[in-house]
Amino acid sequence: MFCLCVYLIMPQKKIIWIYRHSLSARICHWVMALSFFYLLYSGVMIFLHFPELYWGKVGFQGHPAIFKLEDWGISWEEAERLGDRRWGRNYHYLFAWIFLINGIVYLLCNVWRKAFYLKMFPKLSELSYRNLKSVFANHIRSSGKKVTSAVGYNVIQKLSYVFILFVLFPFMIASGLAQMPAFTAISPELIDLFGGRQTARTLHVVCTVLMILFFIVHLVQVFAVGAKNQVRAMITGNYERPESELEIPK
Amino acid sequence: MKKLGSTDGARKATLSRRDIIKRGGALSGILLAGCDSQFYKPPLLRSGLMGVADVLTMATQRSLMSNDQLVQEHDPREITKNFPVWNQSNPEDEEYQRLKANNFEDWVLPVTGLVNNPTSISLSDLKNMSRRTQTTMHICEQGWSAIASWTGAPLLSVIQAAGGIKPQAKYVMINAYGGWYEGYDMFDVSHPQTILAYGMNGKDLPAGNGAPVRLRVERHCGYKQLKFIKSIEIVSTVEHYGRGTGGINSDFGFHWYAGA
Repeated sequence: MFCLCVYLIMPQKKIIWIYRHSLSARICHWVMALSFFYLLYSGVMIFLHFPELYWGKVGFQGHPAIFKLEDWGISWEEAERLGDRRWGRNYHYLFAWIFLINGIVYLLCNVWRKAFYLKMFPKLSELSYRNLKSVFANHIRSSGKKVTSAVGYNVIQKLSYVFILFVLFPFMIASGLAQMPAFTAISPELIDLFGGRQTARTLHVVCTVLMILFFIVHLVQVFAVGAKNQVRAMITGNYERPESELEIPK
Repeated sequence: MKKLGSTDGARKATLSRRDIIKRGGALSGILLAGCDSQFYKPPLLRSGLMGVADVLTMATQRSLMSNDQLVQEHDPREITKNFPVWNQSNPEDEEYQRLKANNFEDWVLPVTGLVNNPTSISLSDLKNMSRRTQTTMHICEQGWSAIASWTGAPLLSVIQAAGGIKPQAKYVMINAYGGWYEGYDMFDVSHPQTILAYGMNGKDLPAGNGAPVRLRVERHCGYKQLKFIKSIEIVSTVEHYGRGTGGINSDFGFHWYAGA
């Protein structure tokens, strides 16, 4: 009873709830997050059992390497102790399948709802140099402050999501397939496209680093804008927009 | 069979639209048929999601494969100079050491199990069979790769020398000195590039790479390319080997199907 009274006499902030993420987008987001974590972790476990990278078709211990973990202070033996490729291989394949199936479901849902077209692909007008510059300048100036559009994405957000979804993810899948002897038997063109198995392996790792960078930026932005509201929106779908933040959606 | 013994370069893999439709059809066929064929799944299915992932991987890859298609063969100039010696390089096996001391002149390969005429094949018999030389890439699951030229007799010819398989035969189990064993299904066994190799880069197979004879199954990772071969048994079930998963690597928790 007391609680209710306190609640009733409290000054009410007018909240506008915006339904921001569809159910399919929310489920796919969290399945993707889980598989990203497992793919990264199992990938590291596999890598630690052979912590060198090469360029071209062949590469092995003693072959000129373009990256050696040894140069970064972790010896081959230490890396081997830290890694576990038996666990890693099993989970890498399992979550690669979960990631792939989830990705296909996500693609189909969004194509069906025209979400890519309506929300993610930048409009031609947005791609002008002047607009890009102003959005970017605004972005830098306002970092840390809660001035993001609650409804739409700005052009930089759009471009980075398009890059991740339609460039990095497919590249990751292709460079993974190019490392499989069965797949290169099916399609030798795939490995030729990469210029060799070791190049494909190296680029798989380079892309992993790019995705980690994206993930860090993604987290920083979530916290900068308000982690509670953002995470809640990704769970319930509803994004809270206080009156102070009223902004005409672009 | 018509390709056996040919040494020309890899057939250029070209996919016509009809091929794609045919293969796509095969894929949906498996999904509908519920993967009941051994062609699409390992001998012992793992429980839970791991088993599901194993079947998805194997069924997808197998449905896209054909035994007419050879893996890429490289130019002999691309052969790797210092081909790595990985895992066991000299089995501590009394019999093996005795054979090795005599330069493998007494080495014989028993071919037993579900064949019509179980037999033993000597090294010179093997070398007198139709031979195939292929310059291919060895791909280790750990990450390294190297190119070598392998010369040997097709595994299928060896099995045919034992009178061919009986109808109930499903897998070929190969035993190696040092206690290794690995199983292969008939699809891989009958691939033209699946050979029992006794030569490497124009010379006898070196000790570290599996002397006197090793297997090449080119569509698999390195751990399926068994070295130091001792005997061959054709079986209908792999239950009596190790933990019954169909190979020493899968007994240890690696994938039985190593197309990757």
